[in-house]
Amino acid sequence: MRTLLSDAPRASLTAFYWAFILYLLLPLTLMMAMSFKDANFVAFPIGEWTFDWYVKVMQDKQFLEACLYSIMIAAATTLAATTLGVWIAMLIVAEGIRGQVIIFALACLPAVVPGMISAISLRIFISTIDMPTGTAAIILGHTVHAVPFVVVMALTRLRSMPGNLVDAARDLGADSVVAFFRVTLPYLGPALLGGMIFCVLLSIDDFVRTFFLGGYRPTLPMLIFAKVQGGMSPEINAMATLVLVVTAAVGLYAEFLTRRARTR
Amino acid sequence: MEPVVQFDNVNKSYGKHVAVDNLNLSIEGGKFVTLLGPSGCGKSTSLRMLGGFETPTSGRILLSGKDVTKVPPNKRNVNIVFQDYALFPHMSVAKNIAFGLELKGLDNQAIHRRVSELLELVQLQDYASRLPAELSGGQRQRVALMRALAPDPDVLLLDEPLSALDAKLRQQMQIELKAIQEKTGKTFMFVTHDQEEALTMSDTIVVMNKGRIEQMGDPHTLYGRPGSVFVANFIGETNLLRSTVVGTEGDVAALSWNGITITANPGGLSPRVGEYLYVVLRPEAIHCSAAEPTSGNRIKGKIRQRVFKGNHTSLMVEVGAGTLLNTLVHPSDVAQLNGEDIWVGWNPETATVIPDRHAHN
Ligand SMILES: Nc1ncnc2c1ncn2[C@@H]1O[C@H](COP(=O)(O)OP(=O)(O)O)[C@@H](O)[C@H]1O
Ligand SMILES: [Mg+2]
Repeated sequence: MRTLLSDAPRASLTAFYWAFILYLLLPLTLMMAMSFKDANFVAFPIGEWTFDWYVKVMQDKQFLEACLYSIMIAAATTLAATTLGVWIAMLIVAEGIRGQVIIFALACLPAVVPGMISAISLRIFISTIDMPTGTAAIILGHTVHAVPFVVVMALTRLRSMPGNLVDAARDLGADSVVAFFRVTLPYLGPALLGGMIFCVLLSIDDFVRTFFLGGYRPTLPMLIFAKVQGGMSPEINAMATLVLVVTAAVGLYAEFLTRRARTR
Repeated sequence: MEPVVQFDNVNKSYGKHVAVDNLNLSIEGGKFVTLLGPSGCGKSTSLRMLGGFETPTSGRILLSGKDVTKVPPNKRNVNIVFQDYALFPHMSVAKNIAFGLELKGLDNQAIHRRVSELLELVQLQDYASRLPAELSGGQRQRVALMRALAPDPDVLLLDEPLSALDAKLRQQMQIELKAIQEKTGKTFMFVTHDQEEALTMSDTIVVMNKGRIEQMGDPHTLYGRPGSVFVANFIGETNLLRSTVVGTEGDVAALSWNGITITANPGGLSPRVGEYLYVVLRPEAIHCSAAEPTSGNRIKGKIRQRVFKGNHTSLMVEVGAGTLLNTLVHPSDVAQLNGEDIWVGWNPETATVIPDRHAHN
């Protein structure tokens, strides 16, 4: 009797939990399942299974080009955002600089501004300074978006850094540049790597900013969007599945890295 | 010989707060020098100014005769062992020690040779490839020491490096540190608030109080002939007898201490009758006996408290109403002091006389 009463809320919680998991996974599972369907349209039942769609995707020049383009933009974004983010984080923890709270608030702002607003304002901004839409504009937009995440990750790590590590390096003959590259940066290392992978994922995933700032060359999300508008086909499912698997793997690896960094 | 370190009228203030107050100090090469004082007296600030991490508000700092007051830390030939060691966590023991050598531009072979030599000095050869996180406290301590010694600094600065260790290890490291200093012949400038540590290791102790130097000297002098009440209280245990001068005759002054008449040698003080003086009397200078001593100061008293300390017994002897003397008795002598009534006595020459500065204000 006791067990029945006390187990009732727990049982319902467990039920909700599984319902939630189902809700999370069902669309993804469906999408993945359809990518193996041996027919030209997306619908049940699946009937025959095939890998043909994957073969087709891997031979799709448009897809491969979009992948390459997305990766290139992600790489540039990551480089720029990491450099800027670490620099801002260093400013925030540095002694004798005023307005550190304001710097922090400004650096974090892009993370909370809605993507739509950010995209429109960036678009207005680049046309004001006569910057053409296209690669550079996309990288600019993605970087602005990614910087706050790098700042927060770098800052968390920097704050846990013993203050006299840099003093010790200086004491042993390092100027401030050498001390930064040989002591501060390696100390940031693991956290930074996690932050960089996060930048890559943010950039590859971004649609709204890319849509407003992009030129004629489609990035991966833009290509998939264009294809969806031309009608659903299992080929799109195969594309999406590939993207999902790769990004999930990279994301999990990043999580693993930051976890290991924290326990060190 | 030219001093290795010179502080020349050095002041350091943080806003209105004076951390170091007109410091004048010169330190000879090859010595183990300790800055000793209570927490907040400006020891670390002095050390950090010498290391180049703080700039004096005024005054000059000279290293081997060269004015380095405005030279950045990486251009000064001094190295610090930090209180929490500050080892680079991502570098191996060998890499940590090699850091300063690499920046000096030594070639790989020379670096390797020097690192092995230093690791051998502290018996850590087998730990060269470990990370600092994989070492014990004492081992980290040794690595920090070797890292700072590696570039062959003019002076090695140590800011309370032993305070994080437990008592046993601390004593062991004190001996080891002193041995390393003697073996290398380096000038060590050591900071501590622990008077025992200072007495154990130093050739010279500089006692600091409120940003100023109270007294400087070798451990024997500081312990045996403290120059101020502060030093007498800070170093070792002590009986401070505040007394009035009742008469003088040559080297001997007759004093009245809470109504008890004693004699002391006022040194060069030439006190006047009626003036107040402090007599510093160490517990071990007092002789306790059942029979009346035949010479020196002697007072009849009652034992009020016995504290067994292992290698000695501490007796609190009441020599007048509410007037206590802290004495130290060796185990072999304790047995004969079984009664309450005893005599305490001391040779007047073993006590130090200090003027009462406040009496003039
Ligand atoms: N960066 C600083 N800002 C303000 N006050 C300081 C600073 N560093 C030290 N002080 C003050 O200067 C005094 C001496 O400090 P310190 O040299 O660290 O003492 P010690 O090492 O003898 O304990 C202390 O009262 C301390 O509060
Ligand atoms: Mg200190």
